[in-house]
Amino acid sequence: MKRKRSTISIAFFILVGVVPFAAAFIYALLYSFGIVGVVNTGFTTQFWETVITSGEFFKSFAYSALIAALSVIISVSTALWLTLKFRKELDKKFLSYIIYLPLAIPGVVAAFFTYQLLSKSGFFSRIAYQFGWIQEARFFPDLVNDQMAIGIIITFITVVVPFFLLLFLNVYKNERIQELSELSASLGAKPNQVLWRISLPVILHKTWVLIVLYFIFLLGAYEIPLILGQESPQMLSVLIIRELKQYDLSKISEGYVAAVIYTVTVSVAAVILFSKRKRIAHEA
Amino acid sequence: MKLSWKPYILSLLVILIIFPFVYLVLLSFASDWQFPNLLPSYFGSRNWQMVVGSENGLLGSLTLSIIISLSVATISTLSGFILSRTVSYHSKKHTLTLLTYFPYILAPVVFGACLSYFFLKIGLFGTATGVVLAQFMIAFPYALIFFSSFWGNRTKSFENLVSTLGGSQWQSFSKVLFPMAGGMLLICFFQTFLISWFEYGLTSIIGVGKVQTLTIKVFLFIKESNFFFGALSCCLLIFPPVLLLYINKKYVFNKLI
Repeated sequence: MKRKRSTISIAFFILVGVVPFAAAFIYALLYSFGIVGVVNTGFTTQFWETVITSGEFFKSFAYSALIAALSVIISVSTALWLTLKFRKELDKKFLSYIIYLPLAIPGVVAAFFTYQLLSKSGFFSRIAYQFGWIQEARFFPDLVNDQMAIGIIITFITVVVPFFLLLFLNVYKNERIQELSELSASLGAKPNQVLWRISLPVILHKTWVLIVLYFIFLLGAYEIPLILGQESPQMLSVLIIRELKQYDLSKISEGYVAAVIYTVTVSVAAVILFSKRKRIAHEA
Repeated sequence: MKLSWKPYILSLLVILIIFPFVYLVLLSFASDWQFPNLLPSYFGSRNWQMVVGSENGLLGSLTLSIIISLSVATISTLSGFILSRTVSYHSKKHTLTLLTYFPYILAPVVFGACLSYFFLKIGLFGTATGVVLAQFMIAFPYALIFFSSFWGNRTKSFENLVSTLGGSQWQSFSKVLFPMAGGMLLICFFQTFLISWFEYGLTSIIGVGKVQTLTIKVFLFIKESNFFFGALSCCLLIFPPVLLLYINKKYVFNKLI
């Protein structure tokens, strides 16, 4: 009876946790090779060749990876600096609540807000006009839908910094870094040594999986680059959805090629990341 | 006397945090704001009054978002709790857990686009039920991973004790496990509620614009360049989470590390 119940549970787990992902992946794979699809006629590697030779997907991948890496590096550095400099102040009642507020802002709202502030007719442009720095809206620099993805990076940073700040403050407390620092100082360590050999290694060792996870999340971010991005190159998810939703049905398979490459890359990253995490947990 | 720069940085931090909330609330009360005016020509409650009247469907979107998020949170939390027990006690625990990470780590919008064919086939494309099911598929892995730390030797000992004393599995769940996991269940409910509440990409793909949650509304207003109603939708979108975060802020991060 117990065994039967366990089998049913596992079957249900596979049905809701594994089957949808497997079905989505297999469907995308079959579509990318022309085996399924409205206008496809049979197995072909033509779509894969087109995607690989055109280079647009890989350009988009590199562009997304660069934006995600830059945003994560700046966010983690800022959050670390704030944690190490202001941890006592941020522990006080008012500030300890205030720093949670940004978590209530979803990506779509953050992108909307950035657009309101940084677009050519946005709030900062109006201020620049009032100060006489610009004579017309078009003279305001391109900060959204721009080539350098400044709007996207700023929004990513504003969304990610609060998360890492709260995370690092908790690690600082839970790992008793204050006590460790005092102990090393009493043993003769200089402030610089305490920072580079105690505080930073402990915090980063404890949170590196989440840092890498955030890089992967930003790599596949959709709403923010959809509102603040440009036509070309586009970030990965925006490019994939654009390809999948286009009117030219013969091109949809190329969208599925992109989706398959992205899914395989992210899945391999997940396997490496979590098997490594498991090993570290065992060693600890 | 050495002047400290810390209060200035902290004041700037507080302003940066509060500014978006204040700006969006003010923008939601405004209309007719031409460039280069620094202030709008109209400032009043007209936009908010329209929410009560159903002209723009915002009240409907708010209700729909609440129903979808509550459904996703309830189903994900309960199924995540029960199934995480099966996974945690299974001999292939690590492989099964790894499998749950795949949908969790993948961009929901890409996941949804690849799944849309199946939703079309089972007749759930463009329906609220379809959106609930799709959001459940990304909230469930979170719930499952979240509860995996609950099932250990201590919990197993309690279950064995109930069994030794003649209790059934149902009694074990209802009298021991659910009360023991009360706090965690609440946090998981909040988190999965937020996953659903903030979701845009997957909802837009599976809902095909017919299921207009608040995030979809924000996008529609941006497309129409109706920034005042966009700001109003943003306000409706961010204030419920502010309340939820206040309630469970103490626990959020302890469970993440």
